[in-house]
Amino acid sequence: MKTRSVASRPVYLAGLTAAAVLAAIALPAFGDAYLIDVGTLVLVYVMLGLGLNIVVGFAGLLDLGYAAFFAIGAYTTAYFMVNTHMSFWLTLPIAACFTAVSGVVIGAPTLRMRSDYLAIVTLGFGEIVRIAATNFTFTGGPEGIYDIPHAALGALVIRTPRALYFLGMAFALVVLVGGYNLSTSRLGRAWLAIREDESAAQAAGINTVYFKLLAYVLGAVFAGAAGSFFAVKLTAINPSSFTFIQSVTILMAIILGGRGSLPGVILGAAVIVILPEALRAFDQVRMLAFGIGLIAMMLLRPQGLWPSRYGRIDAREVAESEAGSAAGVAAGAAAADSAAPGASS
Amino acid sequence: MRNRFVIGLLLVFLVSVMVPGAGAQTGTIKIGVPVPLSGGNAKMGTDIVQAATMAADEQNAKGGVLGRKLEIVSFDDACDAQQAVTAAHKLVDAGVVAVAGGYCSSAAIPASAVYHDSGVAFVADASSNPKLTDQGFENVFRVIGRDDQQGPYAANFMTKNLHAKKIAIIHDNTLYAKGLATATQDALKKMMGVQVVFFDAITPGEKDFSAALTKVKSLKPDVTYFTGYYPEGGLVCKQFKDLGVSGKLMAGDANNDPTFIKECGAASTGVYITSTPLPQDQATAKAFITRYTARWKQDPGPYSALEYDSVGVVINAMQRAKSADRAAIIKALHQTNAYSGATGKITFDQKGDRKQVLYITYIIKGDKFVPTGM
Amino acid sequence: MEIALQQLVNGLTVGAFYALIALGYTMVYGIIRLINFAHGDIYAVGAFLGLSMYGLLALLHVQNAILTTLLALIVSMGCTGLLGMLLFRVAYRPLLHARLSILISAIGASLTLEYGLLLIYSPSFLVYPHLFGRDGPAFAGVSISWLQVLIFVSSIVLMAALYTMVHRTKTGMAMRALAINQDAARLMGINVNRVIGLTFFMGSALASFAGVLTGLYYSQISFLMGFLIGLKAFTAAVLGGIGNIPGAVLGGFLLGIMESLAAGYYSSRWKDVVAFGILIVILVVRPRGLLGERVVERM
Repeated sequence: MKTRSVASRPVYLAGLTAAAVLAAIALPAFGDAYLIDVGTLVLVYVMLGLGLNIVVGFAGLLDLGYAAFFAIGAYTTAYFMVNTHMSFWLTLPIAACFTAVSGVVIGAPTLRMRSDYLAIVTLGFGEIVRIAATNFTFTGGPEGIYDIPHAALGALVIRTPRALYFLGMAFALVVLVGGYNLSTSRLGRAWLAIREDESAAQAAGINTVYFKLLAYVLGAVFAGAAGSFFAVKLTAINPSSFTFIQSVTILMAIILGGRGSLPGVILGAAVIVILPEALRAFDQVRMLAFGIGLIAMMLLRPQGLWPSRYGRIDAREVAESEAGSAAGVAAGAAAADSAAPGASS
Repeated sequence: MRNRFVIGLLLVFLVSVMVPGAGAQTGTIKIGVPVPLSGGNAKMGTDIVQAATMAADEQNAKGGVLGRKLEIVSFDDACDAQQAVTAAHKLVDAGVVAVAGGYCSSAAIPASAVYHDSGVAFVADASSNPKLTDQGFENVFRVIGRDDQQGPYAANFMTKNLHAKKIAIIHDNTLYAKGLATATQDALKKMMGVQVVFFDAITPGEKDFSAALTKVKSLKPDVTYFTGYYPEGGLVCKQFKDLGVSGKLMAGDANNDPTFIKECGAASTGVYITSTPLPQDQATAKAFITRYTARWKQDPGPYSALEYDSVGVVINAMQRAKSADRAAIIKALHQTNAYSGATGKITFDQKGDRKQVLYITYIIKGDKFVPTGM
Repeated sequence: MEIALQQLVNGLTVGAFYALIALGYTMVYGIIRLINFAHGDIYAVGAFLGLSMYGLLALLHVQNAILTTLLALIVSMGCTGLLGMLLFRVAYRPLLHARLSILISAIGASLTLEYGLLLIYSPSFLVYPHLFGRDGPAFAGVSISWLQVLIFVSSIVLMAALYTMVHRTKTGMAMRALAINQDAARLMGINVNRVIGLTFFMGSALASFAGVLTGLYYSQISFLMGFLIGLKAFTAAVLGGIGNIPGAVLGGFLLGIMESLAAGYYSSRWKDVVAFGILIVILVVRPRGLLGERVVERM
């Protein structure tokens, strides 16, 4: 199978990219407050998706409690801005620290676990963080933290939807560039090796523990950045924004778009935000659609809508298992045919 | 092939959402009603929208306001902070002159910031958390009472009417419930010879509260006050009686729903509920109930009358200001003086809270809520 | 003393529900190494189907409480069992060798069941008929009802039945063979897909039994009821040793008691953190649980 290169990608993908860039630029100029707000929300999910992409897409670790890092970033910024009147920009490195540490705390015990145990344990961590946020007084309990001041750039206060959009865009671009550099770096290749065959990677001399931990930490920091931005956008945060459903929604974005693929993640984030808005009449079926969509995606197109260059490997996974199942059915049928009466049922 | 089709479809969606929605209809005056229309609270939201629609239609039958017809614009906030903010932006962009509605305090508070920034009046019909008006926004008003008014009322009832000395308070760690629980506890702390022996939360969504209730039982309280919502309330009531916890059970106004009685069954007799009076028990609301039941073929919910008054108060403000301008409406709302609503007379104080809110206590007898003498 | 005993009874009651659901998790995991995220929601479906049966029987004027309950249980368990098999066939079988994909598919299945229930029944909760009162054996001043006794006893009985089936019948042997090595089992002539399907059927039926009993005992069911209890039941299964049938029940009771004690003596706000904490500690320190055999930790 030949490697796809950018030059040989179908033209329509280039066209889609151009359309998206155009939309991103046109939005603040021509959109009304509501549309700009939706656009900003897409940017938040792009950041979150890119972060989770590092953990799930690059390193292959199924994290079901990703919203915990989102929460830690948001609460850190909120707490310091409200209680110590710190400037938004100063809270960012603090949030990065806290989320990085939490990435280590959550990542360390799970490093040698099977993927299914890892999934459940990260889910558990996600819930613990949410419950802690609901119970502690310094996080405001169930009320959360409200009256968060707006971010300010010198004399300019970032409060209008348009200004928030630009701030979000700046954040998203930094995360995007970071994500791209990571994917094409040695780090990215190490993650890919670990994802595809951990034993082989170890045999090749890759310190899997170190790289997995790094994936968690970087993913956590990206989510923390998204959280900090989220705090000054909403100006009031509470634990209900950081539930398991939130973690699943972010996961949905990257599964839909294509895990490991940067344009895929952006597409996925856009879809999961815009589709429910566009189909508000169908709000009741939104989660049902997510559920069916997840199953369908796994069955029909596990590599996502805009797969990464490594998408062919996931397709092969599915082909393999289908072949395995077919063989199983055939073997079972053959065995049943040849079974003597009275043999095992 | 499939690739192209799917991506093309998505492009169509993206583009269609980018195109600005149909412009505001010239002529009608729009009032926004953001409520949960999906999820567990959908029923409350529907009640509220129905009440608002009725209020608008009745006014339109009288010729509308300032010669223009009223239009109710409702959006789903799903009781979620982010969606409430999005709904707020949508309403503001749709050109509403004022917003009357809301249900969950946790959604109303972030949304109120959006309304504040856009200079749109926000009259809350059901959000009782004090922080909503404590924020100091001049555009925020509230037709329902505050939890820190219900708390002292409940504390008073427990000690004066039920002669309680030891009190257990159970909440569910939501914004509303904890607020009410804390307000009650603060009021009780100021009283002599009264002790709060238990103050903790159960987890909403769970079913088994026997562990917490057994702990309460061991403390032998005279009154146990549950401040959460009725799904858990019914369960608490049932398990409370099953375990044989001593003393009386009391619950906050979010338990003011017939399903509470259905869930708890025969054991619910004798349970007290603090609440603002249901429309059925207010003289001023009798006409409203008749019209509501005739129009919608169902009983009004606990917040229907409050929403009806919220819209009414906005209409009244427009008439006095002789204008549908957003700023003028806010100013006129502040000057509301004893507006006669289905829930009684409405005047707002400095913060936008309603003056002289009435609370009463119901006791469950059989399958009905019956007002106690007090 | 009386209070401690009461907390014990509370813990065993909740624990019995965990045990019944944990059995399904442990069996499926034992055979195909999949955490069936949708299992908790199967429990919810069982509860709702039971309610529908009660409604139907009421329409047909069947009055006897025992009869209606038996019918509700049988129908609900049967239908839910079939649903479990369908779930396997549609969402899991094609993905058996794709680790990540099958987990995501399981999450998708879970959401589908939950929000399907929301749409079909109600976004709010529904109330079960109050069929059985609070009467119970008088026992050291502790409040306990016959229904609670039934729940506790049935979880033990069902576990025993399941254990007997797995260790004494040919089908059970097939299951154990599959758990050890799927390919070898296939080579020995075992119809793998049929056996797995049967496992799903039994696990789902047990969960459904728990669901209907939940409705009868707590009187309240809602479309999300399976989510949290699913996680807790999985914790119980892991605690007892995943893949081990008596372990699932032991884990269930232990978890129930620990939660009760935590809520009773510390704070009920932190009850769930206790459960998740146990899960994490077990998986890090002793992944094979209390009764399980040594498992290979890496994939």
